[in-house]
Amino acid sequence: MAAPLLSTALRGARGGRCFGTAGVLWKRAAPLGPMPNEDVDVDKLEVLEKYRSFARYWRQAERESREPRWWNTYRKHSDPPAEPQTDIGLPRVRLSRAKEIKERKRILRENHRNAEMERAARLRTVLIPLDDVRAEWERTSGPFHKQRVAKHCGVFRDLFQGATFTPWVALRVQYSQEDEHLVPVYYGNMVTPSEASSPPAVSYEADKGSLWTLLLTNPDGHLRDADSEYLHWLVTNIPGSDIKAGKEMCHYLSPFPAMGTGYHRFIFLLFKQHGPIDFSQDARPTPCYSLKMRTFSTFDFYRKHKDAMTPAGLAFFQCRWDSSVTSTFHQLLNMREPVFEFVRPPTYHPPQVKFPRHQPLRYLDRYRDTEEPTYGIY
Amino acid sequence: GIRFASTTASLKTETEVDTSENEVVAPNFTNRNPRNLEQMALARKERGWKTTWPKRDFWHRLRLERTQHYVEAFVERSNGDVVVSASTREWAIKRHLYSPKGVAACKNLGRVMAQRCLEAGINFVNFKAIIPWEHRCDSIQEFEKAMEEGGVVLREPRRIYR
Repeated sequence: MAAPLLSTALRGARGGRCFGTAGVLWKRAAPLGPMPNEDVDVDKLEVLEKYRSFARYWRQAERESREPRWWNTYRKHSDPPAEPQTDIGLPRVRLSRAKEIKERKRILRENHRNAEMERAARLRTVLIPLDDVRAEWERTSGPFHKQRVAKHCGVFRDLFQGATFTPWVALRVQYSQEDEHLVPVYYGNMVTPSEASSPPAVSYEADKGSLWTLLLTNPDGHLRDADSEYLHWLVTNIPGSDIKAGKEMCHYLSPFPAMGTGYHRFIFLLFKQHGPIDFSQDARPTPCYSLKMRTFSTFDFYRKHKDAMTPAGLAFFQCRWDSSVTSTFHQLLNMREPVFEFVRPPTYHPPQVKFPRHQPLRYLDRYRDTEEPTYGIY
Repeated sequence: GIRFASTTASLKTETEVDTSENEVVAPNFTNRNPRNLEQMALARKERGWKTTWPKRDFWHRLRLERTQHYVEAFVERSNGDVVVSASTREWAIKRHLYSPKGVAACKNLGRVMAQRCLEAGINFVNFKAIIPWEHRCDSIQEFEKAMEEGGVVLREPRRIYR
């Protein structure tokens, strides 16, 4: 890089047209970190451990591609670096680890001695009981997986402005239909508004004498302000797991995602109360069909009561428009139904240049305000 | 008499105020749900990377990793974030299996993974990130069959451009 610059400078100095080198933007400096493959000793290639298979190489390549690098990457540009997350949930209750490991090792040893299991594995007929697996998963790694999915659906970002919690309490929410069919709500599945028209059956494990709060909110559906949510259901001071015995501050309103707006998240939050709390400020009148009264902010609500309760359970579903939403708008909310249409952002064109290189004549069409195409006119 | 009339009048104004303000709707609606655009097939897929393998034009990718001792399955986004995962390292699955590697483990992992994907609302996944000559082996075929039977479609819908 230095040699061509020097020769052009000399050519300029000797005669002919002068060539200024004031436009040099780069200067040589040491790299800001280790270069890739610096640790590979090229002289001793026979001693080096080879991959011997593509699968091993690919697994290593995938792992390396996820590593953060010191040079600028697209990942650094598109994903902002993760800030340390404040944990607002319940503290983890760790049982005796040594006993747990001993018990698990015993079970695994029994499995290995079991001839039937060995035969089933060999003949590939083994089918593990999915219900038992799910029950065990809810107890062990379920909360972490639910937290991960909720983080990707933006639940913590929109409801708590970044603060996360691990939902230790398994919240089971089921909508029952007319034909005794049950529609469960897990972490992100699809439920239609007609299925969700009546309040669901909520159950969770609770100690006797503990108080809970259940909240159903929609952070996406607000028709006036993009940053606030709609409150669909608020039941407070629930003793144990009996929802009917709790005080209903805001009665249940079925979901109403407007047509054309796509999928809305409806999030069930279960808070564990440390004692009886006075929620009279959050009480809504009994038939509350005013969207202004239903406008809600979970962050402000939680901040007001954060000393007295902690989030313990989470369940959410995705919901889109269907014909029952029209009747909700017309009958319950007493308003005309809003209909929206998806508007694409305008296509990006780089800033216009006076002498574009290797561009067709329709380059000018991209920057003209009026619609005058330069092709298809003859 | 008068008081009664005034209370009824105030009740009427309350219900009118209640629902008359509902009509006011902002002309532009913003949906903050990050999964909305990809569920409506309108989100962008990373269409570059055409000269490398595996490509990154997907919303969710299913990756099966078979190591010497365990089998793991991940559903991840194009930026690398894992959304749903299942592995024979987890106690819930390991306790029911004789060996945490092999065809039987892959098959049962497929069943568990399909259940977890449907619960998380992921119905379409891209399953192209498997080495072509390894695709024919029994364990990956059983895993694929178990995912299909579980209800997950191993093909992402085409993006809507117009």
